Amino acid sequence: MHYFWVPFLPMLGIIIPLLTNKFNRSTCALATALLPALALGLILFDLPAVLDGQAFTQSIEWIPLLGLNLSFRLDGLSVLFSLLILGIGLLVILYARYYLSEKDHMGRFYCYLIMFMTAMLGIVMSNNMLQLWFYWELTSISSFLLISFWSHSSDARKGARMALTITGAGGLALLAGIVLLGEVVGSYQLNVVLNSAELVQQHPYYLAILSLFLLGAFTKSAQFPFHFWLPHAMAAPTPVSAYLHSATMVKAGIFLLARFYPVLAGTEVWFVVVSLTGLFTLLLGAYTALFKHDLKGLLAYSTISHLGLIVLLLGLNTELAAIAAVFHIINHAIFKASLFMAAGIIDHESGSRDMRKLNGLWKYMPITATLAMVASASMAGVPLLNGFLSKEMFFTETLDQSILGSLSWLIPVLATIGGAFAVAYSLRFIHDVFFNGEPKGLTKTPHEPPRYMRVPVEILVALCLVVGIFPAYTVGPLLDSASLAVLNHPLPEFSLAIWHGFNIPLLMSGLAIAGGLAIYLNRKPLFRFEGLFPAIDAKIKFEGAIQACVRWAQKVNQTLESGSLQRYAFWLCFFALALIAPPLLDLDTTRGSQAEYPLNGAVAIAAVLLVAGSLATVIWSHYRLIALLMLSLVGLVVSITFAYFSAPDLALTQLSVEIVTVILLLLALYFFPQHTPTSKSRPSHFVRDLAVASLIGCIIGSICFALMTSPLDSISEFFIANAKTGGGGTNVVNVILVDFRGFDTFGEITVLGIAALGIYKLIARMRLSMRTKDHDGRLWATDKYPVLLSVISQSLLPLFLLISAYIFMRGHNLPGGGFIAGLITSIALIQQYLAHGVDWMTKRVSVSYHYFIAIGLVTAAITGLGSWAFGQPFLTSWFDYFSLPWIGKFELTSALVFDLGVYLTVIGATLLILANLGKLTTKERLTVGVR
Amino acid sequence: MSLLDHLVIFPILLPFFAGVILLFPSISSALNKQRVFTIATSVLMVIAAAMLLIKVQSTGIQVYALGNWSAPFGIVLVADAFSALMIALSAILGLAVILYASAGEDKNGAFFHPLIMFQLMGINGAFLTGDAFNLFVFFEVLLIASYSLMIHGGGKQRVQANIHYVFLNLIGSSLFLFALGTLYGTLGTLNFADMADKIPHLSNNELMITKSGALLLLAVFGLKAAMLPLHFWLPKAYANTSAPVAALFAIMTKVGIYSIWRVHGVMFGNQAGELANIALPWLWPIALATIAIGAISVLASQSLRVLCSNLVIVSVGTLLVTITLNSVQASTAGIYYLVHSTIACAAMFLLAGLIQQQRGKAEDRFVTARAMPQSAKLGFVFALLAIALIGMPPLSGFVGKALILQSVTDTKQMAWIWSLILGAGLISLIALSRAGTSLFWRTSGENTTALQGSPIQYLAIGILVALLPLMVIFGGSISDYAQLAAEQLNAGLSLQQLNEVAK
Amino acid sequence: MLSYATLFASGLICIALALNAWRLIVGPTTPDRIIAVDTMYINSIALIILLGLYQGTTSYYESALLIALLGFVSTAAFCKYLLRGDIIE
Repeated sequence: MHYFWVPFLPMLGIIIPLLTNKFNRSTCALATALLPALALGLILFDLPAVLDGQAFTQSIEWIPLLGLNLSFRLDGLSVLFSLLILGIGLLVILYARYYLSEKDHMGRFYCYLIMFMTAMLGIVMSNNMLQLWFYWELTSISSFLLISFWSHSSDARKGARMALTITGAGGLALLAGIVLLGEVVGSYQLNVVLNSAELVQQHPYYLAILSLFLLGAFTKSAQFPFHFWLPHAMAAPTPVSAYLHSATMVKAGIFLLARFYPVLAGTEVWFVVVSLTGLFTLLLGAYTALFKHDLKGLLAYSTISHLGLIVLLLGLNTELAAIAAVFHIINHAIFKASLFMAAGIIDHESGSRDMRKLNGLWKYMPITATLAMVASASMAGVPLLNGFLSKEMFFTETLDQSILGSLSWLIPVLATIGGAFAVAYSLRFIHDVFFNGEPKGLTKTPHEPPRYMRVPVEILVALCLVVGIFPAYTVGPLLDSASLAVLNHPLPEFSLAIWHGFNIPLLMSGLAIAGGLAIYLNRKPLFRFEGLFPAIDAKIKFEGAIQACVRWAQKVNQTLESGSLQRYAFWLCFFALALIAPPLLDLDTTRGSQAEYPLNGAVAIAAVLLVAGSLATVIWSHYRLIALLMLSLVGLVVSITFAYFSAPDLALTQLSVEIVTVILLLLALYFFPQHTPTSKSRPSHFVRDLAVASLIGCIIGSICFALMTSPLDSISEFFIANAKTGGGGTNVVNVILVDFRGFDTFGEITVLGIAALGIYKLIARMRLSMRTKDHDGRLWATDKYPVLLSVISQSLLPLFLLISAYIFMRGHNLPGGGFIAGLITSIALIQQYLAHGVDWMTKRVSVSYHYFIAIGLVTAAITGLGSWAFGQPFLTSWFDYFSLPWIGKFELTSALVFDLGVYLTVIGATLLILANLGKLTTKERLTVGVR
Repeated sequence: MSLLDHLVIFPILLPFFAGVILLFPSISSALNKQRVFTIATSVLMVIAAAMLLIKVQSTGIQVYALGNWSAPFGIVLVADAFSALMIALSAILGLAVILYASAGEDKNGAFFHPLIMFQLMGINGAFLTGDAFNLFVFFEVLLIASYSLMIHGGGKQRVQANIHYVFLNLIGSSLFLFALGTLYGTLGTLNFADMADKIPHLSNNELMITKSGALLLLAVFGLKAAMLPLHFWLPKAYANTSAPVAALFAIMTKVGIYSIWRVHGVMFGNQAGELANIALPWLWPIALATIAIGAISVLASQSLRVLCSNLVIVSVGTLLVTITLNSVQASTAGIYYLVHSTIACAAMFLLAGLIQQQRGKAEDRFVTARAMPQSAKLGFVFALLAIALIGMPPLSGFVGKALILQSVTDTKQMAWIWSLILGAGLISLIALSRAGTSLFWRTSGENTTALQGSPIQYLAIGILVALLPLMVIFGGSISDYAQLAAEQLNAGLSLQQLNEVAK
Repeated sequence: MLSYATLFASGLICIALALNAWRLIVGPTTPDRIIAVDTMYINSIALIILLGLYQGTTSYYESALLIALLGFVSTAAFCKYLLRGDIIE
């Protein structure tokens, strides 16, 4: 079969208009029409088989996990819709060629139009529900682009957004419905789903599925209460309206109802909800249409009304009603498309769409007027036109209803009233525009459009007539096969004749026409009555509602994201607290089986000092220098504690880090106010923060206590056992750092390097002004570089370096190592900066410190890479023992080279930070304190 | 071992060496050389990542024992289908970001290129490592690099947002250490596989302490992932930093998600005995609230970058939902969605950079401004990205969303999750359509002086945008791969299996 | 005998440390506090050496050495800060 290619042809065609836009307009339009025409040809090629009552499906797996297949079907319903989409689409292309002005970007317009056409074709030909939804959403997107085509106009933007929002919401509901239905049936393939009516309707999810599907369909087909977007979509260029609001976009919702009719319809809920929604929409649309002064507005509400009619038909519980629905789909598409085009011609050639200005156009454009009048007559349901036939069928079906129980007689009555209003607004369309005096205040003199602009209208109006007069020979077979697809079982008997004899439906038609005439003749009091109601602009309402939501959201957002760091930190701590505390409540005791260390005086005093130091740091945190001094106390006690508990490596590290930190903070402190403004926090916040902080402290303390008193079987035994034999060192800490977990160290020195680069990046361009006095108002001392300090520092340098070399070399076997040695060297150099200043040092150390970082990191990494040469993974260590005369036995290890990398990185990073912080003010130093 | 046997560590070493080499003289002062060098490295990284992906797919999980010390004593890198995918994602993102920045954004501060490289190293390390403490180390690498990158270009707001970011993450890092100490204190090991093996065999007292530690990790990862109520730092930080950095950061929240997945979804997942699924009761409400609050903030956003940041939060909530659902099907959906949302958000951040650059003082705020000189191009890309972010066809968002919807099976969960996810989709639709119409259509006059985006910037965005339809067209094989990843992830890895693979 | 002596000495040093801490906390001036910290460094050298003597190990020696060497640097930095504000000029 060839139909499989039908949806792809227009898809390929999406870019054609963009490519041909640079040629003249007719070429562009022709090129655009080429692929859709080809697609239409393919459909026609397969048409006979379908008319014979066959249905075809073809699938290719796409995303099996999702249940999404590339799957198309060709049955009566999809053929019918494809013909409408492609046929009317081609006419719209022709029409738009003349409608669009020179200013409009024709390529873009056609591009969107074809995109829309592709999407519609996809919907009607899909044999996979997810794929159907895929195209469904594409229609929302492309219709957004089409409606907002004249994007400079605020109306177009708002109308497009409204359409997108409503249909988008419906689309989401539809997705939910489809996934639910797919879960229930176990397949997303329509040929499976459509035959599972019983399974679905008895499933507890049925109601949910039905409501979601109806949401999707009603939003798309502008059914009450979602109808309000449609009139505002009229801001689109008229060819778009002619296409979207006759045969396609709004019919997608109808299509959905028809497509899923076999599986979803047939229950009480369906009939009640669908028919009542349809009925109400029918009346509302018909009534409102009468009062619209805008031609397109009238047509828009008339569309809503006719869509309501079709929905009502689908909701009536007789099979003939469904057939009538299909028939009216065809008829409405034909006459409404021609009416929109006619309205577009009038607008185009007279410059207005306002029926209060447009009068008596008969004289200026008789041909167009004739065409429009025939089409309106069809819309009104005048005999010999196609609209009459389906309306007659509609009236027949309303008579045969029981869904409202004893009130079912209301349905035919209301249907007749709706029909009367349809006649009235059709009359108004004809009489107001083409007769009724002379045009008022038009900007240009109306005239007939270019020849070919009228051709599409002529073709459509001809169809109205042909179908209206010879229904059985024209649409008969198509209607049969489409209805077959909707009902999914053999059709009941029905006849497509114009004349069924004198019967009630004919009487209803007659009443409707007479009633319509009466309404139109008495329109003045009706208009006055309507004028008593305040005019509601749905667009403004909708926009207002959205904006109210936005404002509300902003309020919520501002309450949550207050911008207060204190609050964010509180949330983090509080959240952590809420997570860690509850499990501990289930814990009987934190005391484990491990014996505790005996307490002695020294430990007690150290503990007291530690606590006092920490508290003092917190209490004086507003006096930064003092807080820093207190912090030194804490650091010192911690180092002593490390030493006491046999962790000399840690003690050494802590000490050297401590010093570097102090210098770093002193450097930074200089640029800060000396005192933080005393706490501005509210007392309640103070209590809150204090509580959270203390609780966290208590909990972490308890956990630590619990852990330290419990025995632990850990991987550290392995490290102790293998340090010498596997890592070649007796200092387990160092072997862990450079060998067992050398990769961590590798990462950490990278962190150090990055930190230095980052700080450099932050302050590189910063130049800060200097204060001339200290905080207490004293002038600075005049002696920049005190001699005593300079001499001592300089003479200590070799000692420092010696010690750092010593610490470095012995690291693998005794406390020490590259990190500590690096810090010692850095401190030695910083001491020189302190004593001699930046300029003095710059002369002596000309290398930029970030090279140190780079060399250090490369050294460490190359050591790691070296093991690749020996077929070992990254960072595999190597060591061996050698002996040389005089020196004796010694060990060489790759870990030492790695440690050298650590050493260099530490120096580079520390000095890059400190020296650059020092440089912040070098040049600007004023001669202060000279007096 | 041949060179290819070291493939697992390439994603860490390549950016590392590149970053270091960029610091050496002659290249460190020549921006053009740096650009060429980092772009070349990024291409290499993409190739390496692709090779790793193929290798993992064809031969299964790869383990690399650093220093040749076997687990649990040494550190191992573990590349399974999930981590390989994340590596590939970060490589592609890295390439796009560097291309984009090479058009001039990298001039506005020192060390941009090396820092990006180190950032990628940290991200890749976090994805690959099979060791808890090593994860901490790589978190530090990526954090410290991100601190510096975030202030790239300078400016008061940027620095201010950065202070919040740094401060909160410092708290996070300390909590991370506490948590690791606690877990090590009861489990006596740091290797993920070994930890998972030991968790079901804990004594009563140890159980509760382990639970505390594990949940504390949730706070740590949650902060990184920006889940509620730890998300506050994100919108300001992401919205105020430079475009390429924000784009790269799109994957940073995913690092947090990834870790939650590994630790709370699997290690403390179904097989954790008494501690099975301890995080789920927390994650449920958090995930849903994150989506809700994220969506509300999306609606409230007044500039494109803030909007996009809030979309990141919504995606975080969505991903948490898939973790919480705790099934292979949900993980598959989550993994697919993760890739999609990262790419789409990153591309949107890059695009926001261009928009900001062309709108003068109005920047990317939703106000009337002069039309952008490249409005048509930008608008086209914006429309594509908006479609993807909302989760509409034909781009990858809808596949992820549909997969997630399908993976919810319980009726009660369905009501909550479906309505929130679909509702968030609708809100994104409203917000993005408003954003797009204001940015591109509500214009007054032409802006001819603004800087035009350079082709290389469009190339960068193009690479990312092109992936979105490709993820749909090849959705079959990609979702199959995601399923493989989800299966490996949910099956977990015991120490024994790990060491067998290592041999 | 030695162990008693070291214990006794440690006790005294601990008391000295506590007194230093007292001075550090009460001040009243910043130089007081700086000197208090410096003295604490010196006292802790003594404490660590005594600890080594008591336990008969040399592994604490380096810690003491480092405190001796580095403590001076931070004190000098504090002083420079008081004198000139900017410690590296």
